[in-house]
Amino acid sequence: MAEFNYTAKDFKSENEVRWCPGCGDYAIMNAVQRTMAEMNIPHEKFAVISGIGCSSRFPYYMSTFGFHSIHGRATAIASGVKTANPDLNVWVITGDGDSLAIGGNHFIHLVRRNIDVNLVLFNNKIYGLTKGQYSPTSDRGVVTKTSPFGTVEDPFIPGQLVLGASGNFFARAVDGNVKHTQEVLKLAAEHEGTSVVEVLQNCVIFNDGIHAEIADPKFRNERQLFLEHGKPMLFGNESEKGLVFENGKLKVVTIGTDGYTLGDILVHDAKTADPTLHLALINMALPEFPVAMGVIRSVDAPVYDQAVRSQIETVQASRKISNVDELLRSGNTWKVDEESSSEPVPFFLKKCPLKDA
Amino acid sequence: MGELRLMKGNEVIAEAAIRCGCDAYFGYPITPQSEVMETLMAREPWNQTGMVVLQAESEVASINMVYGAAGAGKKVMTSSSSPGISLMAEGISYIAGAELPCVIVNVQRGGPGLGTIQPSQADYFQSTKGGGHGDYRLIVLAPASVQEMHDFVGLAFELAFKYRNPAMILADGAIGQMMEKVELGEFVARQTTEQVDAQYGSWATTGKKKSRAKNVITSLELDSALMEQNNLRFQEKYRKMQQDEVSFEAIRCEDADYVLVAFGSSARICQKSVELARAKGIKVGLLRPITLFPFPSEPIARLAKQVKGFMTVEMNAGQMIEDVRLAVNCAGERNPVHYFGRLGGIIPTPGEVVEALEQKLIGG
Repeated sequence: MAEFNYTAKDFKSENEVRWCPGCGDYAIMNAVQRTMAEMNIPHEKFAVISGIGCSSRFPYYMSTFGFHSIHGRATAIASGVKTANPDLNVWVITGDGDSLAIGGNHFIHLVRRNIDVNLVLFNNKIYGLTKGQYSPTSDRGVVTKTSPFGTVEDPFIPGQLVLGASGNFFARAVDGNVKHTQEVLKLAAEHEGTSVVEVLQNCVIFNDGIHAEIADPKFRNERQLFLEHGKPMLFGNESEKGLVFENGKLKVVTIGTDGYTLGDILVHDAKTADPTLHLALINMALPEFPVAMGVIRSVDAPVYDQAVRSQIETVQASRKISNVDELLRSGNTWKVDEESSSEPVPFFLKKCPLKDA
Repeated sequence: MGELRLMKGNEVIAEAAIRCGCDAYFGYPITPQSEVMETLMAREPWNQTGMVVLQAESEVASINMVYGAAGAGKKVMTSSSSPGISLMAEGISYIAGAELPCVIVNVQRGGPGLGTIQPSQADYFQSTKGGGHGDYRLIVLAPASVQEMHDFVGLAFELAFKYRNPAMILADGAIGQMMEKVELGEFVARQTTEQVDAQYGSWATTGKKKSRAKNVITSLELDSALMEQNNLRFQEKYRKMQQDEVSFEAIRCEDADYVLVAFGSSARICQKSVELARAKGIKVGLLRPITLFPFPSEPIARLAKQVKGFMTVEMNAGQMIEDVRLAVNCAGERNPVHYFGRLGGIIPTPGEVVEALEQKLIGG
């Protein structure tokens, strides 16, 4: 491939990157830039759309076209960009506040329509930009500036929302694991339709270590299960553990124990339309289960922007009226002859004078 | 004397709300006013007065929660900053149309759009001319100190209930973030359901007993003739506000040749400008509108007979100047009315104001 010979550097802007030192956003940006460099798409075809939040500063740091838009509306704006100009490769950079609080509505409708955009959801379970209030993904009971005695509400699990909205692509990654994040982003980018990648991101100032139990490289093999389509669901330092499906639910087993063999371990099918197992994988949580990483669901389905275009083409080909001008000149139209009338022609029957002025 | 404290403007909004018997607050974080909700949460008013505090999922949710609580006859408020207030515009219009009382605090920042997080007064038009769709007005109070941030919470509730209309406290990032000495008010008990029923029984949805007529809260009226009657009633209410509720402060206007007109942070700056100008021998006064709606048109009209000219000082591109001109010209006067201001979050200096005054009014 490498027709364009881009490197990640080609996607960096000249703006000084201003996130807090140690913020997980740096690593995610590197992964995105490396992914874009490998996509073999002309640089000018990329558009990066963000809403409001720390992660939403992203477009300033990219050399691509972009939008730093309205709180929660990045998904709606991206829907407009992609539908109006399907040639663009559209990315939405958003956070748990932006996409799941005020933007929850637009988020589920983007997913439901299956518009071909790549959405990267930075989940740090806190409002970082406004300095530390709880977010819709904050765990029940968490103490923040607006919940000094602990929250009394349950969080959204982003993957559940995606499946609930009949989503076709959901993946999960960890900010510090740039190599894996990049692999996942590549698959997300290749997927046609809305792809949602949740990146567990550390907010070093207001929620430091929130994902440490999962994300710490020390425990990576034991606490994260890296899913790959067509491969058995194995984890552990020696890949000695795996998942089986028994009595209608997932179960962790050790190969060679209780009679379980490698042949009993579930093989990941990301491409099956049935979301049952995908949901079970999304729901897996410590300590009973490892946390599912990688592409959990990647199903081919009709894509909105392609369908819109093809519908327009079909209708245009089958109708006599193919554009607005022809529509206006069809049916009950007549010409007002100014000179033959003795009455003055009312202004609303005349051409708007604005253009002549 | 009440309890004295050194507090931020935003913090004191929270404290004043608890003390004046506010029932509920619904909000969403936004700079530069996040301290309002943070202070409320830290104060745990639900343990002391039973006041409810809830972080909503957005400003749209906040204002609609306010709409609901207001319909239940509760003293309810929200706070935000400019972009968040724009999000609330729809709800505010509905609340005004349904004739319900509530208090909305806008700690303004520079716009348009996402703008900046620095102080601004660019939402003057939005606040005083309605903000959402339809013919409605808000009662708008403009605090110029942390003490007024405190005092206006109770006042805003009082006016909101008196007129069954949303009232807005139009502050800015400077007043919200600055710390000053403040004398706190006494605790006022929250109203009981019986008190609410007795006072607002005609409309508050406190529960429909058999003896009570049904009340559906709405701003909808499909019969145009009836909708016109609704609108006429609203307009009558706004006229009554104009007649009874105008509040302003005139500083050294008695012998003034020139008058600065400014509200909020700008008025504080102008107070210094008055001193600077007077030290130079220019007789300058300051008229500070405290209610922006109803606007102190009449006092300005009276001053117009005495002074050589006016200059508004605003942290916007010149919005209140239109109301000052209307006040002057509608009184049949022809004094020059000028404007000086800074934009985008920049606060003018007292010296800049005097310089502008000399250039525009005295030199010109």
